Amino acid sequence: MTQSIEFKLPELGENISQGDLVRLMVKPGASVNAGQAVMELETDKAVIEVPSSVSGTIKDIKVKEGDKIKVGQVVFTVENGAGGKAGQKTEGPAQATPKQDAAAEAKKTEEKAPDQGDAQSAQAFVERRKAAADGKASEFKLPELGENITQGDLVRLMIAPGAKVSEGQPVMEIETDKAVVEVPSSVSGTVKEVKVKEGEKIKVGQLIFTLEGATAAVEASKPRPSPVEHVSGQHGARLAFQAAIRAEGKTEEEALPPDQPQAPAADFAIPAQLGKVAGTDHRGPIPAAPHIRRLARELGIDIYEVKGTGPGGRISEDDVKLHAKTLLTAAVTAAQAQPRAGRLAVPELPDFSKWGRVERVSMRGVRRKTAEHLAESWNTIPHVTQHDRADITELEQLRARFAPKAEEAGGKMTVTAIALKVCAAALKVFPQFNASIDIEKEEIVYKQYINIGVATDTDRGLLVPVLRDVDKKNIVELAVELSQLSKKAREKKLAPADMEGGTFTITNLGGIGGVGFTPIVNHPEVAILGISRSRMEPEWITNKFEPRLILPLSLSYDHRLIDGADAARFLRWICEAFEQPFLLSVQG
Amino acid sequence: MSENQTLKLAVIGGGPGGYAAAFLAADLGMNVTLIDPEANPGGVCLYRGCIPSKALLHVAKLIEESQQAKNWGIDFAAPNVDLARLRSWKQGVVTKLTGGLGQLSKQRKVQYVQGRAAFENSNTLRVSKVQGGEESLSFDRIIIATGSRPAVVPTLKIDSPRMMDSTGALDLADVPKTLLVVGGGYIGLELGSVYAALGTRVTVVEMLPGLLPGADRDLVLPLHKRLEKMFESILLNTTVAAVKDEGSGIRATLKAQDGSEQEKVFDRVLVSVGRKPNSEIPGLEKTGVQVGPKGFIQVNKQLQTDDPAIYAIGDVVGEPMLAHKASHEGRVAVEAIAGHKVAFEPNAIPAVVFTDPEVAWAGLTETQAQKDNREIKVAKFPWGASGRAMTLDRNEGVTKLIVDPKSERVLGVGISGVGAGEMIAEGVLAIEMGALAGDVALTIHPHPTLSETVMESAEVFFGTSTHVYRPKRG
Repeated sequence: MTQSIEFKLPELGENISQGDLVRLMVKPGASVNAGQAVMELETDKAVIEVPSSVSGTIKDIKVKEGDKIKVGQVVFTVENGAGGKAGQKTEGPAQATPKQDAAAEAKKTEEKAPDQGDAQSAQAFVERRKAAADGKASEFKLPELGENITQGDLVRLMIAPGAKVSEGQPVMEIETDKAVVEVPSSVSGTVKEVKVKEGEKIKVGQLIFTLEGATAAVEASKPRPSPVEHVSGQHGARLAFQAAIRAEGKTEEEALPPDQPQAPAADFAIPAQLGKVAGTDHRGPIPAAPHIRRLARELGIDIYEVKGTGPGGRISEDDVKLHAKTLLTAAVTAAQAQPRAGRLAVPELPDFSKWGRVERVSMRGVRRKTAEHLAESWNTIPHVTQHDRADITELEQLRARFAPKAEEAGGKMTVTAIALKVCAAALKVFPQFNASIDIEKEEIVYKQYINIGVATDTDRGLLVPVLRDVDKKNIVELAVELSQLSKKAREKKLAPADMEGGTFTITNLGGIGGVGFTPIVNHPEVAILGISRSRMEPEWITNKFEPRLILPLSLSYDHRLIDGADAARFLRWICEAFEQPFLLSVQG
Repeated sequence: MSENQTLKLAVIGGGPGGYAAAFLAADLGMNVTLIDPEANPGGVCLYRGCIPSKALLHVAKLIEESQQAKNWGIDFAAPNVDLARLRSWKQGVVTKLTGGLGQLSKQRKVQYVQGRAAFENSNTLRVSKVQGGEESLSFDRIIIATGSRPAVVPTLKIDSPRMMDSTGALDLADVPKTLLVVGGGYIGLELGSVYAALGTRVTVVEMLPGLLPGADRDLVLPLHKRLEKMFESILLNTTVAAVKDEGSGIRATLKAQDGSEQEKVFDRVLVSVGRKPNSEIPGLEKTGVQVGPKGFIQVNKQLQTDDPAIYAIGDVVGEPMLAHKASHEGRVAVEAIAGHKVAFEPNAIPAVVFTDPEVAWAGLTETQAQKDNREIKVAKFPWGASGRAMTLDRNEGVTKLIVDPKSERVLGVGISGVGAGEMIAEGVLAIEMGALAGDVALTIHPHPTLSETVMESAEVFFGTSTHVYRPKRG
């Protein structure tokens, strides 16, 4: 029997669940070895080379350049090979990824002949859409119970038709071959129909009951990035991963009942483990019996995080189960809170192709990250924008005079470079603009350093490299550093570290034009300065109009921390510093 | 799991780690090939280690006790040792056990290949068979369980039949009049005891200031005292600078810490200075397996090497080089391969020195706690207060618990005395179960047995031991 082994996208790092395939380095028929780089992937953070974990001859490549690939997705299959992790499927290629093939097939049909409209798939689509739109009757399916657990016996049902359930409320007890587990509901509402009986064997993903007047069951058809499984000590990510699959009630396709129209998303596979288990070594012995430790591992729980209630802190089976339940409940809540906020911002899209041709392009790494980050900033921060104008007639003369100095040093004496110095001085005078809010602890974090990000337009999208300790550098130094960073940004050479640790941001659109705009605060910072194009304007100065060079400035700020008057004072201070650079040396 | 039925697994090395792994893998439905140069599974442990040495130590103890019997009014004549029969009895034990393993292997349909394996790549092995011929075999997963071998000291590496390692010593070619044991670790002391009991005058040389480096001193003391009587001499802080075969014996230059040297001639020399991992497997460089600086193959908690298709277990992955650690690792590796969520994470691995008296410990040692600057409380029960020890005329032992003073949890157990090796298992269980000193104290132990010393040492922790009176501390 020739064995065909799949290479799936391994985990790439914390919180990275997918990436865009920029370059594929292998072809069918080529031989690969474990460790050999096979593709380049662009993630939110960087472009990475991904090494193969399998060896053999490549048979079938399942992805193409430009695709968005999720962790766990099959990239290619090899013959006569080996590698990957035990438990990965090793069937023939025909069976390899029917779902994706089907999806690709369907997509092709749609693209080629939209008018023929594969009746079946269209109908399925409509049904799915209906189910999604119809918020009144929702469903609860058996969520994931733990790794390698695909089913269990229903020992006790705690709800009946007509009963009210709320999320987090235990609705049944399931006995798996590992343990009896209480399963909390992920939905709230009135139970309409119960689809299972006590004593039945229930599979993960199977429909348990339907609801009337439900609030927000997590929409199963909505593809969500399947988070990364971390075999290592990166426990948070691991829990998030399990939480997400549990909340969605998703599992591997074979566990799904065949009659359920199932969401195409979240192909879940345990990623091939790369490298060693980090961070777990040298932990002292834990007061838990060996089989309790094993139970915890099976349930995906770090035993060191379980609170033991027994004598001397001994951890019992109940302690582990309680911990699991707490995590499960928290995860369900978290999973629900998020899409709800998201859904307000993203109403359902119409079918654009009804009105003409459309083209769909994948949202690449930076674009998607920008979208997520800005939506989060906008959702969290109550924004106000303060506008003001700085008279930079004198400054412009100085700038022109000192420009050659900067040029000599390899930089450009731009308005942004000067603005960096001005803002750094202003932030020293107004420390609340150099702060962050820690809502959870109800504290304000004042930073004792001034690192300013500069929004940079690149062909990958918006990037914000950060200049460090701006207050300790002179304008020429800042001009040089800014030129270097902008160059790095445009050449895609910025490292994640180059974009971290900012305390304030400057965005200058003056090079393009405009008289003012409302920038969005770069969370968790609390203020951002927008600069528009300077132009000559008539200014009323001592009884007559004089032509002055005016720079429009827009300061957006987080109104939770900063009051309007403070913002006006802060921006005025900046304007005056532009007008009288001497102020910098007096007050800055 | 159905997937495992077709999963092809090779295990290289048929020692206690390798065969435990192979058998479990077969039980889980994998297609298993076990490769080892011996006729049957067993490895060093059965052929040249634990088992034959214990057979000989049993005999040694009998001889010792027969001499001790004169204290009890029984006089035996000096024993007449028939070496050939002793050897064949020892060999019989080995043959029976390894034969049994061969049977178990057949019953489980494990393909046993008598030969040596070399890697062609991460999934392919070239096996040179002992009866001739080569074969190239492919597997989904491979477990390396190649074990270890006696370490060699360059200065002691001379070509002489009088020089032995542990394997040679177990062959028991003769009973030399004098024997130099280089290395005061457990192997040297165990084999030295055997020869001493058979009538050899044994000299032990240890480089460090104490026997059994790593073990707590109070546990070593009763053994040291007894060995001082059994052995010709125990030279600590001493190294062997040179050896020379003079035909009629080996002239050894013994160098003390102060630089003074003395020369002595011995009939035989046993070099027991530790063991080295067998990680020099041909073709290993064609895989992703990484070998660390001390020659140990690097693995994660699932015993997986840096090459995802290859796992490694036992002596070849690190200390402690003990059979019971290897077999536990073997089982964990196989379960990991089967897709179970498992890890090798014991709270305690027991260590036993099978001398007379035996020395055994598990979990945290006092020495380690001091090194870690960790606060502990030590509860010690001297065997002088044990009725059972008295009836055996062996009251030199000691049992102690290392307890966390805050939680009162048992973190370590140490026993020195007759039967310590059997008794330590209770300590391991206590540590693994997270037992408190109170749990051990409140568990009824049978009387009169040595196991009571474990219970009473827990009582000592609370200052309420029945048979030990300690004035209350203010």
